Amino acid sequence: MSAQQAESDAGRVATTTRKPLNPLLVLSAQVAVFVIVMGLWQGLAEADVLDPFFFSRPTAIVAQIWKWVATGFIWPHLATTLVEALMAFVIGTAFGVGAGLALARVELLARVFDPYIRILNALPRVILGPIFILWFGLGIASKVALAVTLVFFIVFFNTFQGIREVDPVVLNNARMLQASERQLLRYVYLPSAMAWIFSSLHTSIGFALVGAVVGEYLGAARGIGYVVAQAEGVFDTTGVFAGLILTSAVVLLIDLGINRLERYLLRWRPGN
Amino acid sequence: MTTSASPAVAFEDVTIRFRAPRGGVHTVLQHVSLEVRDGTFLAIVGPSGCGKSTLLNVAAGLLTPPEGRAVIFGKPLDGINKHASYLFQQDALLPWRTVLDNVMLGLAFRNAPRAEAEAQARGFIERVGLRGFEDRFPHQLSGGMRKRVAVAQSWIVGPRILLMDEPFGALDVQTRQIMENELLDLWQESRQTVLFITHDLEEAVALADRVVLISAGPGARIKGDYEVPLPRPRDVAEIRLNPDFMQLYKRIWSDLRDEVRHSYEAGNR
Repeated sequence: MSAQQAESDAGRVATTTRKPLNPLLVLSAQVAVFVIVMGLWQGLAEADVLDPFFFSRPTAIVAQIWKWVATGFIWPHLATTLVEALMAFVIGTAFGVGAGLALARVELLARVFDPYIRILNALPRVILGPIFILWFGLGIASKVALAVTLVFFIVFFNTFQGIREVDPVVLNNARMLQASERQLLRYVYLPSAMAWIFSSLHTSIGFALVGAVVGEYLGAARGIGYVVAQAEGVFDTTGVFAGLILTSAVVLLIDLGINRLERYLLRWRPGN
Repeated sequence: MTTSASPAVAFEDVTIRFRAPRGGVHTVLQHVSLEVRDGTFLAIVGPSGCGKSTLLNVAAGLLTPPEGRAVIFGKPLDGINKHASYLFQQDALLPWRTVLDNVMLGLAFRNAPRAEAEAQARGFIERVGLRGFEDRFPHQLSGGMRKRVAVAQSWIVGPRILLMDEPFGALDVQTRQIMENELLDLWQESRQTVLFITHDLEEAVALADRVVLISAGPGARIKGDYEVPLPRPRDVAEIRLNPDFMQLYKRIWSDLRDEVRHSYEAGNR
Protein backbone atom coordinates (compact mmCIF):
# COMPACT_ATOMS: atom_id res chain seq x y z
CA MET A 1 0.00 0.00 0.00
CA SER A 2 1.38 3.37 -0.94
CA ALA A 3 1.30 6.40 1.33
CA GLN A 4 -0.86 8.30 -1.15
CA GLN A 5 -3.39 5.51 -1.30
CA ALA A 6 -3.61 5.39 2.48
CA GLU A 7 -4.10 9.13 2.52
CA SER A 8 -6.96 9.12 0.03
CA ASP A 9 -8.67 6.24 1.81
CA ALA A 10 -8.63 7.99 5.15
CA GLY A 11 -12.00 9.68 4.54
CA ARG A 12 -13.80 6.46 3.68
CA VAL A 13 -13.73 4.44 6.83
CA ALA A 14 -16.15 1.77 7.97
CA THR A 15 -18.35 2.40 10.97
CA THR A 16 -19.69 -0.17 13.39
CA THR A 17 -23.34 -1.18 13.28
CA ARG A 18 -24.07 0.75 16.46
CA LYS A 19 -25.25 4.13 15.31
CA PRO A 20 -23.20 7.03 16.61
CA LEU A 21 -25.10 9.71 18.55
CA ASN A 22 -26.14 12.73 16.56
CA PRO A 23 -24.03 15.62 17.94
CA LEU A 24 -26.88 18.03 17.23
CA LEU A 25 -29.22 15.98 19.42
CA VAL A 26 -26.69 16.01 22.26
CA LEU A 27 -26.23 19.77 21.97
CA SER A 28 -29.95 20.56 21.90
CA ALA A 29 -30.53 18.28 24.92
CA GLN A 30 -27.77 20.13 26.77
CA VAL A 31 -29.39 23.47 25.97
CA ALA A 32 -32.77 22.09 27.07
CA VAL A 33 -31.35 21.02 30.46
CA PHE A 34 -29.93 24.51 30.95
CA VAL A 35 -33.16 26.25 29.97
CA ILE A 36 -35.33 24.03 32.18
CA VAL A 37 -33.14 24.37 35.29
CA MET A 38 -32.71 28.13 34.90
CA GLY A 39 -36.39 28.59 34.00
CA LEU A 40 -37.49 26.64 37.08
CA TRP A 41 -35.14 28.64 39.28
CA GLN A 42 -36.34 31.94 37.83
CA GLY A 43 -40.00 30.92 37.89
CA LEU A 44 -39.93 29.61 41.46
CA ALA A 45 -38.13 32.76 42.60
CA GLU A 46 -40.65 35.00 40.84
CA ALA A 47 -43.53 33.05 42.42
CA ASP A 48 -41.87 33.46 45.84
CA VAL A 49 -41.65 29.69 46.34
CA LEU A 50 -37.89 30.15 46.58
CA ASP A 51 -37.10 33.17 48.71
CA PRO A 52 -34.94 35.42 46.47
CA PHE A 53 -33.16 36.65 49.60
CA PHE A 54 -31.64 33.17 50.09
CA PHE A 55 -31.63 31.87 46.53
CA SER A 56 -31.38 34.98 44.33
CA ARG A 57 -32.48 34.52 40.72
CA PRO A 58 -30.62 33.86 37.44
CA THR A 59 -31.47 37.23 35.87
CA ALA A 60 -30.17 39.08 38.92
CA ILE A 61 -26.95 37.02 38.88
CA VAL A 62 -26.35 37.70 35.20
CA ALA A 63 -27.04 41.41 35.79
CA GLN A 64 -24.59 41.43 38.68
CA ILE A 65 -21.83 39.79 36.60
CA TRP A 66 -22.53 42.22 33.77
CA LYS A 67 -22.29 45.17 36.15
CA TRP A 68 -18.93 43.91 37.52
CA VAL A 69 -17.60 43.50 34.01
CA ALA A 70 -19.01 46.78 32.67
CA THR A 71 -17.74 48.90 35.57
CA GLY A 72 -14.39 47.12 35.48
CA PHE A 73 -14.78 46.33 39.20
CA ILE A 74 -14.06 42.61 38.76
CA TRP A 75 -10.86 42.72 36.67
CA PRO A 76 -8.26 43.40 39.41
CA HIS A 77 -9.91 40.73 41.58
CA LEU A 78 -10.00 38.21 38.77
CA ALA A 79 -6.39 39.01 37.87
CA THR A 80 -5.26 38.47 41.45
CA THR A 81 -7.01 35.12 41.67
CA LEU A 82 -5.65 34.00 38.30
CA VAL A 83 -2.08 34.98 39.20
CA GLU A 84 -2.35 33.05 42.47
CA ALA A 85 -3.83 30.02 40.73
CA LEU A 86 -1.24 30.11 37.95
CA MET A 87 1.67 30.36 40.39
CA ALA A 88 0.23 27.53 42.47
CA PHE A 89 -0.33 25.47 39.34
CA VAL A 90 3.22 25.92 38.09
CA ILE A 91 4.89 25.38 41.47
CA GLY A 92 2.64 22.46 42.41
CA THR A 93 3.09 20.76 39.02
CA ALA A 94 6.88 21.21 39.06
CA PHE A 95 7.19 19.75 42.56
CA GLY A 96 4.61 17.06 41.80
CA VAL A 97 6.36 15.85 38.65
CA GLY A 98 9.78 16.06 40.36
CA ALA A 99 8.69 14.15 43.44
CA GLY A 100 6.73 11.64 41.37
CA LEU A 101 9.78 10.95 39.23
CA ALA A 102 12.15 10.63 42.17
CA LEU A 103 9.93 8.32 44.17
CA ALA A 104 8.96 6.18 41.21
CA ARG A 105 12.60 5.67 40.21
CA VAL A 106 14.17 5.23 43.66
CA GLU A 107 12.53 2.41 45.59
CA LEU A 108 14.09 3.48 48.89
CA LEU A 109 12.59 6.98 48.69
CA ALA A 110 9.17 5.54 47.84
CA ARG A 111 9.27 3.20 50.84
CA VAL A 112 10.50 5.86 53.28
CA PHE A 113 8.10 8.61 52.24
CA ASP A 114 5.00 6.51 51.58
CA PRO A 115 3.41 6.89 55.06
CA TYR A 116 4.23 10.59 55.30
CA ILE A 117 2.74 11.38 51.94
CA ARG A 118 -0.42 9.55 52.93
CA ILE A 119 -0.64 11.47 56.20
CA LEU A 120 -0.08 14.84 54.51
CA ASN A 121 -2.58 14.08 51.78
CA ALA A 122 -5.18 13.13 54.39
CA LEU A 123 -4.97 16.61 56.01
CA PRO A 124 -8.05 18.75 55.38
CA ARG A 125 -6.41 21.58 53.44
CA VAL A 126 -8.90 24.28 54.46
CA ILE A 127 -7.61 24.01 58.03
CA LEU A 128 -4.15 24.87 56.72
CA GLY A 129 -5.50 28.20 55.41
CA PRO A 130 -5.31 30.12 58.69
CA ILE A 131 -1.86 28.67 59.44
CA PHE A 132 -0.58 29.81 56.04
CA ILE A 133 -2.00 33.27 56.67
CA LEU A 134 -0.03 33.33 59.94
CA TRP A 135 3.13 32.20 58.15
CA PHE A 136 2.91 34.06 54.86
CA GLY A 137 0.64 37.02 55.71
CA LEU A 138 -2.56 38.25 54.14
CA GLY A 139 -0.97 38.77 50.70
CA ILE A 140 -0.68 36.53 47.69
CA ALA A 141 1.83 34.05 49.17
CA SER A 142 -0.56 32.39 51.62
CA LYS A 143 -3.10 31.69 48.85
CA VAL A 144 -0.45 30.26 46.57
CA ALA A 145 0.78 28.02 49.38
CA LEU A 146 -2.71 26.70 50.07
CA ALA A 147 -3.38 25.96 46.39
CA VAL A 148 0.04 24.30 46.02
CA THR A 149 -0.86 21.77 48.72
CA LEU A 150 -3.85 20.79 46.59
CA VAL A 151 -2.13 20.72 43.20
CA PHE A 152 1.03 18.95 44.34
CA PHE A 153 -0.60 15.71 45.49
CA ILE A 154 -2.75 15.27 42.41
CA VAL A 155 0.20 15.73 40.06
CA PHE A 156 2.47 13.69 42.29
CA PHE A 157 0.24 10.61 42.45
CA ASN A 158 -0.43 10.67 38.70
CA THR A 159 3.23 11.09 37.76
CA PHE A 160 4.22 8.32 40.14
CA GLN A 161 1.65 5.97 38.67
CA GLY A 162 2.54 6.94 35.11
CA ILE A 163 6.24 6.24 35.61
CA ARG A 164 5.48 2.94 37.32
CA GLU A 165 3.37 1.77 34.39
CA VAL A 166 6.02 2.21 31.71
CA ASP A 167 5.96 -0.82 29.39
CA PRO A 168 8.96 -2.96 30.46
CA VAL A 169 9.53 -4.17 26.87
CA VAL A 170 9.81 -0.61 25.56
CA LEU A 171 12.15 0.16 28.44
CA ASN A 172 14.37 -2.87 27.79
CA ASN A 173 14.47 -2.03 24.09
CA ALA A 174 15.72 1.49 24.86
CA ARG A 175 18.28 0.08 27.27
CA MET A 176 19.53 -2.37 24.63
CA LEU A 177 19.91 0.60 22.26
CA GLN A 178 22.18 2.03 24.96
CA ALA A 179 20.09 4.83 26.36
CA SER A 180 21.67 6.53 29.38
CA GLU A 181 19.59 7.11 32.50
CA ARG A 182 18.93 10.68 31.39
CA GLN A 183 17.93 9.58 27.92
CA LEU A 184 15.59 6.97 29.40
CA LEU A 185 13.92 9.77 31.33
CA ARG A 186 13.56 12.02 28.32
CA TYR A 187 12.67 9.42 25.70
CA VAL A 188 10.76 6.82 27.70
CA TYR A 189 9.64 7.67 31.25
CA LEU A 190 8.32 11.21 30.78
CA PRO A 191 6.48 10.69 27.47
CA SER A 192 5.00 7.51 28.84
CA ALA A 193 3.80 9.27 31.98
CA MET A 194 2.47 12.17 29.89
CA ALA A 195 -1.06 10.79 29.56
CA TRP A 196 -1.28 10.44 33.35
CA ILE A 197 0.22 13.86 33.94
CA PHE A 198 -2.29 15.41 31.57
CA SER A 199 -5.26 13.80 33.20
CA SER A 200 -3.95 15.26 36.46
CA LEU A 201 -3.67 18.74 34.90
CA HIS A 202 -7.40 18.79 34.23
CA THR A 203 -8.11 18.20 37.90
CA SER A 204 -5.27 20.27 39.27
CA ILE A 205 -6.08 23.47 37.35
CA GLY A 206 -9.50 23.41 39.02
CA PHE A 207 -7.94 22.76 42.39
CA ALA A 208 -5.41 25.55 41.91
CA LEU A 209 -8.26 28.00 41.44
CA VAL A 210 -10.30 26.52 44.29
CA GLY A 211 -7.25 26.78 46.58
CA ALA A 212 -6.74 30.42 45.64
CA VAL A 213 -10.41 31.34 46.09
CA VAL A 214 -10.71 29.54 49.43
CA GLY A 215 -7.49 31.24 50.60
CA GLU A 216 -8.92 34.62 49.67
CA TYR A 217 -12.19 33.79 51.34
CA LEU A 218 -10.37 33.09 54.60
CA GLY A 219 -8.63 36.45 54.60
CA ALA A 220 -7.48 38.78 51.84
CA ALA A 221 -7.78 42.29 50.45
CA ARG A 222 -8.61 41.32 46.88
CA GLY A 223 -9.52 38.37 44.67
CA ILE A 224 -12.73 36.54 43.75
CA GLY A 225 -12.78 34.80 47.12
CA TYR A 226 -12.59 38.22 48.80
CA VAL A 227 -15.50 39.49 46.68
CA VAL A 228 -17.58 36.43 47.65
CA ALA A 229 -16.72 36.91 51.33
CA GLN A 230 -17.69 40.59 51.15
CA ALA A 231 -21.00 39.76 49.49
CA GLU A 232 -21.69 37.11 52.10
CA GLY A 233 -20.96 39.63 54.84
CA VAL A 234 -23.88 41.79 53.70
CA PHE A 235 -26.19 38.83 52.93
CA ASP A 236 -25.86 39.54 49.19
CA THR A 237 -26.73 36.07 47.83
CA THR A 238 -26.64 37.34 44.26
CA GLY A 239 -23.02 38.45 44.69
CA VAL A 240 -22.04 35.05 46.16
CA PHE A 241 -23.61 33.18 43.23
CA ALA A 242 -22.08 35.56 40.71
CA GLY A 243 -18.62 34.96 42.19
CA LEU A 244 -19.12 31.18 42.11
CA ILE A 245 -20.32 31.15 38.51
CA LEU A 246 -17.47 33.39 37.42
CA THR A 247 -14.98 31.00 39.02
CA SER A 248 -16.37 27.93 37.27
CA ALA A 249 -16.51 29.77 33.93
CA VAL A 250 -12.81 30.58 34.22
CA VAL A 251 -11.94 26.97 35.10
CA LEU A 252 -13.94 25.76 32.11
CA LEU A 253 -12.08 28.11 29.76
CA ILE A 254 -8.64 27.06 30.98
CA ASP A 255 -9.68 23.41 30.77
CA LEU A 256 -10.55 23.87 27.08
CA GLY A 257 -7.04 25.23 26.50
CA ILE A 258 -5.51 22.21 28.21
CA ASN A 259 -7.69 19.94 26.07
CA ARG A 260 -6.20 21.39 22.90
CA LEU A 261 -2.66 21.16 24.20
CA GLU A 262 -3.30 17.57 25.22
CA ARG A 263 -4.69 16.62 21.83
CA TYR A 264 -1.55 17.99 20.20
CA LEU A 265 0.98 16.46 22.58
CA LEU A 266 -0.73 13.06 22.73
CA ARG A 267 -1.37 12.84 18.98
CA TRP A 268 0.71 9.65 18.81
CA ARG A 269 -1.98 7.71 20.64
CA PRO A 270 -4.45 5.55 18.72
CA GLY A 271 -7.78 7.34 18.41
CA ASN A 272 -6.33 10.86 18.59
CA MET B 1 33.01 -8.16 8.68
CA THR B 2 36.04 -9.78 10.25
CA THR B 3 35.24 -12.77 12.41
CA SER B 4 36.49 -13.01 15.94
CA ALA B 5 38.61 -15.98 17.07
CA SER B 6 36.85 -16.23 20.42
CA PRO B 7 33.17 -17.18 20.33
CA ALA B 8 30.76 -14.27 19.91
CA VAL B 9 28.60 -15.58 22.72
CA ALA B 10 29.50 -18.24 25.27
CA PHE B 11 27.26 -19.38 28.11
CA GLU B 12 29.36 -20.95 30.83
CA ASP B 13 27.47 -23.24 33.16
CA VAL B 14 24.50 -20.89 33.45
CA THR B 15 21.84 -21.72 36.03
CA ILE B 16 18.82 -19.48 36.54
CA ARG B 17 16.48 -19.60 39.50
CA PHE B 18 13.56 -17.35 40.30
CA ARG B 19 11.79 -16.97 43.60
CA ALA B 20 8.39 -18.55 43.05
CA PRO B 21 5.36 -16.40 43.92
CA ARG B 22 4.21 -18.83 46.62
CA GLY B 23 7.66 -19.15 48.18
CA GLY B 24 10.27 -21.68 47.26
CA VAL B 25 12.58 -21.48 44.30
CA HIS B 26 11.85 -22.23 40.67
CA THR B 27 14.85 -23.38 38.62
CA VAL B 28 14.42 -22.39 34.99
CA LEU B 29 17.74 -23.33 33.43
CA GLN B 30 20.32 -25.72 34.79
CA HIS B 31 24.01 -25.88 33.88
CA VAL B 32 23.65 -24.57 30.37
CA SER B 33 26.93 -24.27 28.48
CA LEU B 34 26.97 -23.21 24.86
CA GLU B 35 29.43 -21.56 22.52
CA VAL B 36 28.33 -19.62 19.43
CA ARG B 37 30.99 -18.94 16.82
CA ASP B 38 31.13 -15.45 15.36
CA GLY B 39 28.97 -15.16 12.22
CA THR B 40 26.76 -18.12 13.05
CA PHE B 41 22.99 -17.97 12.68
CA LEU B 42 21.90 -20.02 15.68
CA ALA B 43 18.30 -20.97 16.34
CA ILE B 44 17.26 -22.05 19.82
CA VAL B 45 14.11 -24.18 19.96
CA GLY B 46 12.24 -25.75 22.82
CA PRO B 47 8.76 -26.15 24.25
CA SER B 48 7.12 -22.96 25.50
CA GLY B 49 8.09 -22.00 29.00
CA CYS B 50 11.43 -23.83 28.88
CA GLY B 51 13.53 -20.73 29.48
CA LYS B 52 14.64 -19.86 25.93
CA SER B 53 13.88 -16.18 26.42
CA THR B 54 15.61 -16.22 29.79
CA LEU B 55 18.77 -17.44 28.09
CA LEU B 56 18.53 -14.64 25.55
CA ASN B 57 18.10 -12.07 28.32
CA VAL B 58 21.31 -13.38 29.88
CA ALA B 59 23.15 -12.80 26.59
CA ALA B 60 21.60 -9.33 26.39
CA GLY B 61 22.78 -8.44 29.87
CA LEU B 62 19.21 -7.72 30.97
CA LEU B 63 19.43 -10.62 33.43
CA THR B 64 22.46 -11.62 35.52
CA PRO B 65 22.56 -15.34 36.29
CA PRO B 66 23.14 -16.32 39.94
CA GLU B 67 25.46 -19.10 38.75
CA GLY B 68 27.62 -19.20 35.66
CA ARG B 69 28.14 -16.33 33.25
CA ALA B 70 27.87 -15.10 29.70
CA VAL B 71 31.12 -14.32 27.87
CA ILE B 72 30.94 -12.01 24.84
CA PHE B 73 33.90 -12.04 22.43
CA GLY B 74 36.08 -13.41 25.21
CA LYS B 75 35.03 -10.87 27.85
CA PRO B 76 32.68 -11.74 30.72
CA LEU B 77 29.48 -9.73 30.35
CA ASP B 78 28.81 -7.05 32.92
CA GLY B 79 25.68 -4.94 32.42
CA ILE B 80 24.02 -4.38 29.05
CA ASN B 81 25.68 -6.18 26.13
CA LYS B 82 27.00 -3.34 24.00
CA HIS B 83 27.69 -5.53 20.98
CA ALA B 84 24.11 -6.71 20.74
CA SER B 85 20.77 -5.52 19.40
CA TYR B 86 17.56 -7.12 20.58
CA LEU B 87 14.46 -7.78 18.48
CA PHE B 88 11.55 -8.41 20.81
CA GLN B 89 8.44 -10.46 20.15
CA GLN B 90 6.19 -7.69 21.48
CA ASP B 91 6.03 -4.17 20.14
CA ALA B 92 9.01 -2.34 21.57
CA LEU B 93 8.96 0.83 19.49
CA LEU B 94 8.38 4.15 21.24
CA PRO B 95 4.70 4.78 20.43
CA TRP B 96 5.19 8.56 20.84
CA ARG B 97 7.94 8.80 18.23
CA THR B 98 7.58 8.64 14.46
CA VAL B 99 9.02 5.87 12.31
CA LEU B 100 12.01 8.05 11.45
CA ASP B 101 12.70 8.96 15.09
CA ASN B 102 12.33 5.35 16.15
CA VAL B 103 14.82 4.10 13.58
CA MET B 104 17.25 6.86 14.59
CA LEU B 105 16.92 6.08 18.27
CA GLY B 106 20.10 4.04 18.73
CA LEU B 107 22.13 6.71 16.93
CA ALA B 108 20.52 9.49 19.00
CA PHE B 109 21.43 7.62 22.20
CA ARG B 110 25.03 7.52 20.97
CA ASN B 111 24.85 11.29 20.38
CA ALA B 112 25.41 11.00 16.64
CA PRO B 113 24.96 14.27 14.68
CA ARG B 114 21.30 14.65 13.78
CA ALA B 115 21.70 15.15 10.02
CA GLU B 116 23.98 12.17 9.65
CA ALA B 117 21.71 9.95 11.76
CA GLU B 118 18.68 11.04 9.76
CA ALA B 119 20.30 10.27 6.43
CA GLN B 120 21.32 6.84 7.66
CA ALA B 121 17.85 6.18 9.07
CA ARG B 122 16.19 7.13 5.77
CA GLY B 123 18.45 4.62 4.04
CA PHE B 124 17.43 1.86 6.43
CA ILE B 125 13.75 2.74 6.18
CA GLU B 126 14.06 2.35 2.42
CA ARG B 127 15.85 -0.98 2.80
CA VAL B 128 12.98 -2.38 4.85
CA GLY B 129 10.47 -1.07 2.29
CA LEU B 130 8.85 1.69 4.35
CA ARG B 131 9.65 4.71 2.23
CA GLY B 132 6.88 7.29 2.56
CA PHE B 133 6.03 6.20 6.12
CA GLU B 134 8.79 8.15 7.88
CA ASP B 135 6.39 10.50 9.66
CA ARG B 136 3.85 7.92 10.78
CA PHE B 137 3.42 6.90 14.38
CA PRO B 138 3.67 3.17 15.17
CA HIS B 139 -0.07 2.77 15.83
CA GLN B 140 -0.73 3.90 12.24
CA LEU B 141 1.18 0.89 10.86
CA SER B 142 0.29 -2.79 10.50
CA GLY B 143 1.98 -5.42 12.65
CA GLY B 144 4.33 -6.41 9.84
CA MET B 145 5.32 -2.80 9.17
CA ARG B 146 6.02 -2.20 12.84
CA LYS B 147 8.25 -5.26 12.79
CA ARG B 148 10.15 -3.82 9.84
CA VAL B 149 10.69 -0.61 11.77
CA ALA B 150 12.00 -2.67 14.68
CA VAL B 151 14.38 -4.53 12.32
CA ALA B 152 15.71 -1.21 10.98
CA GLN B 153 15.99 0.14 14.52
CA SER B 154 18.09 -2.78 15.72
CA TRP B 155 20.18 -3.00 12.56
CA ILE B 156 21.17 0.67 12.22
CA VAL B 157 23.55 0.62 15.17
CA GLY B 158 25.70 -1.98 13.41
CA PRO B 159 25.49 -4.67 16.08
CA ARG B 160 27.85 -7.64 15.94
CA ILE B 161 25.28 -9.81 17.67
CA LEU B 162 21.54 -9.90 16.99
CA LEU B 163 19.29 -11.34 19.65
CA MET B 164 15.81 -12.24 18.45
CA ASP B 165 13.05 -13.53 20.68
CA GLU B 166 10.36 -15.06 18.46
CA PRO B 167 10.36 -11.79 16.52
CA PHE B 168 7.76 -12.94 13.98
CA GLY B 169 5.62 -14.96 16.38
CA ALA B 170 2.72 -12.51 16.35
CA LEU B 171 2.54 -12.16 12.55
CA ASP B 172 0.30 -14.06 10.16
CA VAL B 173 1.87 -16.87 8.14
CA GLN B 174 2.28 -14.97 4.85
CA THR B 175 3.75 -11.84 6.40
CA ARG B 176 6.00 -14.04 8.45
CA GLN B 177 7.50 -15.79 5.42
CA ILE B 178 8.14 -12.46 3.73
CA MET B 179 9.81 -11.12 6.86
CA GLU B 180 11.94 -14.26 7.23
CA ASN B 181 13.24 -13.87 3.69
CA GLU B 182 13.93 -10.17 4.23
CA LEU B 183 15.80 -11.03 7.41
CA LEU B 184 17.93 -13.57 5.56
CA ASP B 185 18.70 -11.04 2.79
CA LEU B 186 19.81 -8.44 5.31
CA TRP B 187 21.84 -10.96 7.23
CA GLN B 188 23.48 -12.31 4.08
CA GLU B 189 25.14 -8.90 3.58
CA SER B 190 26.54 -8.43 7.06
CA ARG B 191 26.73 -11.93 8.59
CA GLN B 192 26.48 -10.98 12.22
CA THR B 193 26.05 -13.58 14.91
CA VAL B 194 22.36 -14.29 15.41
CA LEU B 195 20.66 -15.95 18.36
CA PHE B 196 17.13 -16.63 17.17
CA ILE B 197 14.57 -17.99 19.64
CA THR B 198 11.55 -19.81 18.28
CA HIS B 199 9.21 -22.65 19.16
CA ASP B 200 8.66 -23.29 15.46
CA LEU B 201 11.11 -25.95 14.31
CA GLU B 202 10.45 -25.32 10.61
CA GLU B 203 11.38 -21.68 11.02
CA ALA B 204 14.51 -22.66 12.95
CA VAL B 205 15.80 -25.11 10.33
CA ALA B 206 14.90 -22.83 7.41
CA LEU B 207 16.82 -19.87 8.82
CA ALA B 208 19.73 -21.21 10.84
CA ASP B 209 23.22 -22.68 10.45
CA ARG B 210 22.82 -24.49 13.71
CA VAL B 211 19.86 -25.49 15.87
CA VAL B 212 20.06 -26.02 19.62
CA LEU B 213 17.24 -27.86 21.36
CA ILE B 214 16.37 -26.99 24.95
CA SER B 215 14.54 -29.53 27.09
CA ALA B 216 11.25 -28.94 28.90
CA GLY B 217 11.48 -26.97 32.13
CA PRO B 218 11.79 -26.70 35.05
CA GLY B 219 15.54 -27.12 35.19
CA ALA B 220 15.87 -27.08 31.40
CA ARG B 221 19.13 -28.16 29.78
CA ILE B 222 20.50 -28.41 26.29
CA LYS B 223 19.14 -31.59 24.81
CA GLY B 224 20.41 -31.52 21.25
CA ASP B 225 22.76 -29.59 18.98
CA TYR B 226 22.42 -29.93 15.20
CA GLU B 227 24.33 -28.46 12.26
CA VAL B 228 22.16 -27.33 9.34
CA PRO B 229 24.31 -27.86 6.23
CA LEU B 230 21.74 -26.46 3.80
CA PRO B 231 22.90 -24.19 0.95
CA ARG B 232 22.64 -20.38 1.08
CA PRO B 233 21.22 -18.04 0.00
CA ARG B 234 17.92 -19.62 0.96
CA ASP B 235 14.28 -18.94 0.33
CA VAL B 236 12.31 -20.04 3.37
CA ALA B 237 9.37 -21.30 1.31
CA GLU B 238 11.49 -23.28 -1.14
CA ILE B 239 13.97 -24.70 1.31
CA ARG B 240 11.14 -26.55 3.03
CA LEU B 241 10.81 -28.76 -0.07
CA ASN B 242 14.48 -29.72 -0.01
CA PRO B 243 14.85 -33.44 0.94
CA ASP B 244 17.78 -32.65 3.25
CA PHE B 245 15.59 -30.12 5.05
CA MET B 246 12.88 -32.70 5.59
CA GLN B 247 15.28 -35.32 6.84
CA LEU B 248 16.89 -32.92 9.29
CA TYR B 249 13.51 -31.65 10.39
CA LYS B 250 12.33 -35.20 11.14
CA ARG B 251 15.46 -35.96 13.12
CA ILE B 252 15.18 -32.89 15.36
CA TRP B 253 11.40 -33.20 15.64
CA SER B 254 11.63 -36.71 17.10
CA ASP B 255 13.74 -35.24 19.93
CA LEU B 256 11.63 -32.12 20.32
CA ARG B 257 8.36 -34.07 20.38
CA ASP B 258 9.27 -35.81 23.63
CA GLU B 259 10.05 -32.48 25.27
CA VAL B 260 6.85 -30.88 24.07
CA ARG B 261 4.94 -33.86 25.49
CA HIS B 262 6.75 -33.57 28.84
CA SER B 263 6.01 -29.89 29.06
CA TYR B 264 2.38 -30.44 28.05
CA GLU B 265 1.89 -33.15 30.66
CA ALA B 266 3.63 -31.04 33.32
CA GLY B 267 1.26 -28.21 32.49
CA ASN B 268 -1.80 -30.45 32.87
CA ARG B 269 -0.81 -31.96 36.14
